[in-house]
Amino acid sequence: MVKYLGKRIFYIVLTLFIVTTVTFFLMKFMPGTPLTNQAKLTPEQIHQIYKQYGLDKPLWYQYLAYLGGALHGNFGTSFQFSDQPVSYLIGTRIGPSLQLGAQAMVLGTIIGIIIGAVGAVKKDTWVDTTATIVSILGISIPSFVLAVLLQYYLGLKLKMFPIADWQGFAYTVLPTLALAAAPLAETARFMRTEMVDVLSSDYIELAKAKGLNKMGIIYHHALRNSLIPIVTIIGPLAVNIMTGSMVVENIFSIPGIGEQFVKSVLTNDYPTIMGLTIMYSFMLCVVILITDILYGVIDPRIRINK
Amino acid sequence: MKLSSVAKLGGTAALVALVLAGCGSGSSSSQSGKKQELNWVESANLPTMDVSKMTDIVSSRMVNSTNEGLLRLAANNKVVPGVAKSYKVSKDGKTWTFNLRNEKWSNGKPVTAKDFVYSWQRTVSPKTASQYAYIFGNIENATKINSGKMAASKLGAEAKDDHTLVVHLIKPQTFFKYMVAQSYFMPQLESQVKKSGSKYGTTSSNMVYNGPFKMTGWNGTNDSWKLVPNKNYWNKKAIKLSKVNVQVVKDPSTMLNQYQSNKLDFITLNGTQVKEYKNNKEYKVNKEASNFYLEMNQKKHPEFKNKDIRKAFALAIDKSQLANKVQADGSVAPTGFVPTDMQKYKGQDFADAAKVKSGVDYDLAQAKKLFAKGMKAEGKKTLSLDLLSDDTDKAKKSTEFIQSQLEKLPGVKINNQNLPFKTRLARSADGNFDLVVSGWIADYPDASNFLDLMTSNNPQNNGEWKNAKYDALVKKAEGADANNEGARWNDMVQAEKILMNEQGVIPLYQTGVSTLTKSNVKGIQFFPTSPEYDFTKASK
Repeated sequence: MVKYLGKRIFYIVLTLFIVTTVTFFLMKFMPGTPLTNQAKLTPEQIHQIYKQYGLDKPLWYQYLAYLGGALHGNFGTSFQFSDQPVSYLIGTRIGPSLQLGAQAMVLGTIIGIIIGAVGAVKKDTWVDTTATIVSILGISIPSFVLAVLLQYYLGLKLKMFPIADWQGFAYTVLPTLALAAAPLAETARFMRTEMVDVLSSDYIELAKAKGLNKMGIIYHHALRNSLIPIVTIIGPLAVNIMTGSMVVENIFSIPGIGEQFVKSVLTNDYPTIMGLTIMYSFMLCVVILITDILYGVIDPRIRINK
Repeated sequence: MKLSSVAKLGGTAALVALVLAGCGSGSSSSQSGKKQELNWVESANLPTMDVSKMTDIVSSRMVNSTNEGLLRLAANNKVVPGVAKSYKVSKDGKTWTFNLRNEKWSNGKPVTAKDFVYSWQRTVSPKTASQYAYIFGNIENATKINSGKMAASKLGAEAKDDHTLVVHLIKPQTFFKYMVAQSYFMPQLESQVKKSGSKYGTTSSNMVYNGPFKMTGWNGTNDSWKLVPNKNYWNKKAIKLSKVNVQVVKDPSTMLNQYQSNKLDFITLNGTQVKEYKNNKEYKVNKEASNFYLEMNQKKHPEFKNKDIRKAFALAIDKSQLANKVQADGSVAPTGFVPTDMQKYKGQDFADAAKVKSGVDYDLAQAKKLFAKGMKAEGKKTLSLDLLSDDTDKAKKSTEFIQSQLEKLPGVKINNQNLPFKTRLARSADGNFDLVVSGWIADYPDASNFLDLMTSNNPQNNGEWKNAKYDALVKKAEGADANNEGARWNDMVQAEKILMNEQGVIPLYQTGVSTLTKSNVKGIQFFPTSPEYDFTKASK
């Protein structure tokens, strides 16, 4: 297990290095400058400012300087937020995104698993049909449409929850619901399919033959085995949702990180692009690692023995 | 093991959620609606409070609300006394002497002429890497200092004593009074800049203020903060608000919902919302000193050297339909290259004085005639052109419209290229385009801000239209006639007339912002240039 982990961590470091390198050079090939007042500056003025930021140096030099800084935990300062260290920018804005993402994931997957499981157990009844409709709706309605509808009806019309802003738990309810729809639908769909499969397998038949009660079979045998595909999709889904949705965050005025990634690319904010790319890649790598370990925990057949 | 693994996963997530819940905004949930509390909205983040480093309108507005320059912008194109009680201009127009009042910074230190000198020196110093240093270009030695050829201490601004500031200009500048009222010219306290070091301007607690309000609760990246009255402000009697709650809301429909539920006192509207609120008594359009215009690349397409073809292109585009039906957000059809409501002289608006009907008219029949004539002269039958513009929804709508209009000219084929803003800028600067929709917003309310752009050697003259007479007039306005307001006005009016008669550029629309303001809120001022809004003297 230790050897396995060591190998995996080495691959994570290698992945991060490759991602960093490729992003750095691709980013530098984008036209335009990171200067926010580029439209009004002459080429000479731009060159003058570039000198101060070391952007006039050859690309390989900038690359090595960046790597050197990053290894020491210095990810540079943002251009969008003038002079703000990128690590501070991410640190202060990722909190709300992570919180919403986590809430939406927990809510979405738990309800999704229940809906999926119930749908499978009550296969081909009206319960199953309802569950299927819910998951189809969840997948086909984009989160931002749902967000606008929730905001208008529950926020503005019924005044049940705040329309937008970020001042406490009540403010997280609507964005959480909007974000939870996708993981809910996805887990419900996978859960149902898998559970139907499992329920018709031999060992369930055997358990039934042994005279175990139905709930016991479902809970002890069927549910656990059906969770494997869920674990596979939960990982990437979690990263996707926890790194913030630009649209949902904008609709609810959440001070999250979602928009910064998009905006940093559009404004050539080099240090922010790099910082966020490294962070996202790192999160994704770690989540994949955790998923692989979880497989073993859930299903002994996949466990690594060496 | 039952469901324990799932429970663990869920448990961890729930724990994370709990911990993170503590990271939420720390602002107390203040109920709005109390008297004299203004709920202000910004549609973008606040990037910095550093006078020397800001480039955007939100920073400019917040700096203007929390600081006071020598003079202060006021409604109707006026400036009123700020830190300077009065000022004197020398006969040659090159030396401006400002007489400063007794005032204190929010930390109790006196505001002196040195704070202005320090601030300006800091902005032009190359080390600061300010992106607005060019705006000081007419102060002696500013450009040399900025390019590293001279020490910042040589800047032509000196503190004769604590209350006397003398500024030496290279050329007379009648509109310098507007410049010193701009956020970029506000003072900075050296001891505070030194004390905050690299954190200066990055949070509200790292700043001192000498203006109407003090800022609290801005951690540098968050989306809401407050402004509270500054007890040390010299004119604090004029401040009626007890608090301003500023909230960043980026989504237009959220803004409207917040406004309807009385969480915001002022909002801007987008094109779709305008249709619904046009006749509301809280609705108002504010025209900005900003124009969008079409540049024709003469270097790549020599046929654009033909005036008839340029004129035909201009006449083929129905600008009022573009502004009112396509944009429909408060934008207006242009009256020329220089926007309306920006500069006045003897009661007359520059845009009216310089209006050339054929430069902004729509006349398809005439356009077709001129086009046929021009194409014959150039020996061409067809013109296939790329139309470069931004990739926002608004920009896409206008390019589609312009495309459909221009293709009514027989033989013209337009291919739209909607690219991200920065890419568009890079391409324009490299001359890598056929037609480009460019935009410009004035830094200060003077026609030269626009007219300079179209001079032969200006880097912003992407189409490379050249006219010696035009160049000479613009030069005269800034040289021989610089100190004579009437002569200068005439030069600029003549220049604009040449530009429009020759159709060196095709004005498309002047940007307007549609707003809603709660009827109980009075006294929010609007200026066509940055910082656009001044709510410091508002009341409820």
